[in-house]
Amino acid sequence: MAELSIRGVRKSFGETEVIRNVDLSVGNGEFVVFVGPSGCGKSTLLRMIAGLENVTSGTISIDGADVTHADPSKRGIAMVFQTYALYPHMTVEENMGFGLEMAGIPADERKRMVRRAAETLHLETYLARKPKQLSGGQRQRVAIGRAIVRDPKIFLFDEPLSNLDAELRVRMRIEIAKLHADLGATMIYVTHDQVEAMTLASRIVVLRDGRIEQVGTPLELYNNPDNQFVAGFIGSPKMNFVPARVTGRTEDGAVKLAVDSLGLAEFAVMPRERNATMPETLSIGIRPEHFLPPGTDGAMDVSLGLGAVEHLGGVSYIYTEPGRDGSLTAEVRGLPGLKAGGLLPLAVNPDTCLLFSTEGARL
Amino acid sequence: MKRSLPATLLLGLSGLFLLLLIGMPFWWVVTGSFKLPQEIIARVPTMVPHSFTLQHFAKLLSGSDYPVYMINSLLVAGISTAITLVLSVPAAYAFFRLAFPGREALYRIILLAYAFPSIVVLIPLFGMFARIGLIDTLAALVIINVTFALPFSIWMLRSFFASVPKEIEEAALMDGAPPTVILRRIMIPLIAPGIASVGIFAFISAWTEYVFASVLILSDAKRTVPVGFSGIIGQYQIDWGLLLSGASLAVLPVVILFALVGRWFVSGLTEGAVK
Repeated sequence: MAELSIRGVRKSFGETEVIRNVDLSVGNGEFVVFVGPSGCGKSTLLRMIAGLENVTSGTISIDGADVTHADPSKRGIAMVFQTYALYPHMTVEENMGFGLEMAGIPADERKRMVRRAAETLHLETYLARKPKQLSGGQRQRVAIGRAIVRDPKIFLFDEPLSNLDAELRVRMRIEIAKLHADLGATMIYVTHDQVEAMTLASRIVVLRDGRIEQVGTPLELYNNPDNQFVAGFIGSPKMNFVPARVTGRTEDGAVKLAVDSLGLAEFAVMPRERNATMPETLSIGIRPEHFLPPGTDGAMDVSLGLGAVEHLGGVSYIYTEPGRDGSLTAEVRGLPGLKAGGLLPLAVNPDTCLLFSTEGARL
Repeated sequence: MKRSLPATLLLGLSGLFLLLLIGMPFWWVVTGSFKLPQEIIARVPTMVPHSFTLQHFAKLLSGSDYPVYMINSLLVAGISTAITLVLSVPAAYAFFRLAFPGREALYRIILLAYAFPSIVVLIPLFGMFARIGLIDTLAALVIINVTFALPFSIWMLRSFFASVPKEIEEAALMDGAPPTVILRRIMIPLIAPGIASVGIFAFISAWTEYVFASVLILSDAKRTVPVGFSGIIGQYQIDWGLLLSGASLAVLPVVILFALVGRWFVSGLTEGAVK
């Protein structure tokens, strides 16, 4: 268990800056997940914490000790790679014991530690096998075992589940959550899968172009995103952004909007800051799952064109103009007979809508 | 995969053709070495020997310097191979892993060793070796063989190193292994097929080397098989039996070497590591 602190960290590969001035504190026993689109720098940041990438400037400290330039093995961390990275010529036991051997722990002690870790992960029966004799899930478990056997202060996971099939991924996700609960260790986890992020994280760090866009609990990011990027990145299907004109303010500070594409007028949405000044035009964000049946109390009725309909069983997704910019997505329930073509009456509650400036900042 | 009949036939025939092309001379030489002299020079050649004798081998091993040549050759080829491996493995790893200025240029320059025909460098080398007293020593041959085997070995091993997934090395780094341990415990076992290939390459090129061995070695007791053997088979007439038995014995070490290291040529050594 340990605290991690990242201060003003930058990383450049030649001219290109891939991590731009990142500040982050991770508390004892936290499960922090880095998410972001590919190329956002999340893996690079993790590798810098691991010591596998140099830091161009800034400091990384673990439990108050500056480890910015320390060797990976001197940082008290363990890392689980996306590709497992097991030693193919060694047995499971040797794989898990290699780090202990390097640390100079005697053989019988090593054997005991490996056995204990193997029991945690139900790997006892596989200790004598080589990696190629294991299934994908077992290999990933060995990779995790190799990490826990060293009792590190911080665990790093670099997209550990993305090589597994969907069913196994769900199972391993639950195992990792359980492992975190059992060990109480500080864990940092990189993924592009937002289900993993939402379910595992105590806090999520959203990265874009090497910068932190927002840090918060999963529900904070979902309910109260700082900007349009975070709002669009968290939640699936993606949040709809609809251009709107400001027509006035109500007495309690809500912004009255005309949303021409939805045929809404006097649509009063409360901004984040009650007294903030509003630009003339902005966009409102409506999550697909926030469309309601027509006539719902407190909501205003809208009609959406049925460009395409996808039935997933419990829910259906409708798309107004599939494939085009400005197409809206709505999630509806209980309409299994819905077909493309025509209009569907729905409703939107202004309380669930968010406001963004045309530059993408939250209003 | 399912193949059509003509394709299977074609594959089978080409396999058979290659087998005959490579196998026939072997068969001819090895069976010939057991034939009586009359049968060897018989007007109608026999594919299956009618006679059996060990007289050629007996003559070769007791009546000539062949055993001495054989020992010299084994020494030169064995030591050359060992030195080539000891030098090329760390050199290839350095070329692969270390980033230093001029790496790529140096990496290409080492191939210059192959730019000149050996006959061109022979005379200046003779001069150099004469000055440091290496003429007529087996060490001179070892130096020559290692020099010519190294560049190719380094190139080949570097690509084998490059085929090892980066994460395996990084995992070892996270486990606290120093570079020498990573090389010895992780990388070398994973590139064993490459090391075996390089070893065989180095051994065969040293085993068959003729030009330098014929010029740099002066005394008969220090000759290697290719040079010494060419002297045995007759100045005035060719003793076919001696020739065939000597040739049979000369391929023996290479065949044994292949049998020994063949098991390293297993595919998928890194299987299970990263997938």
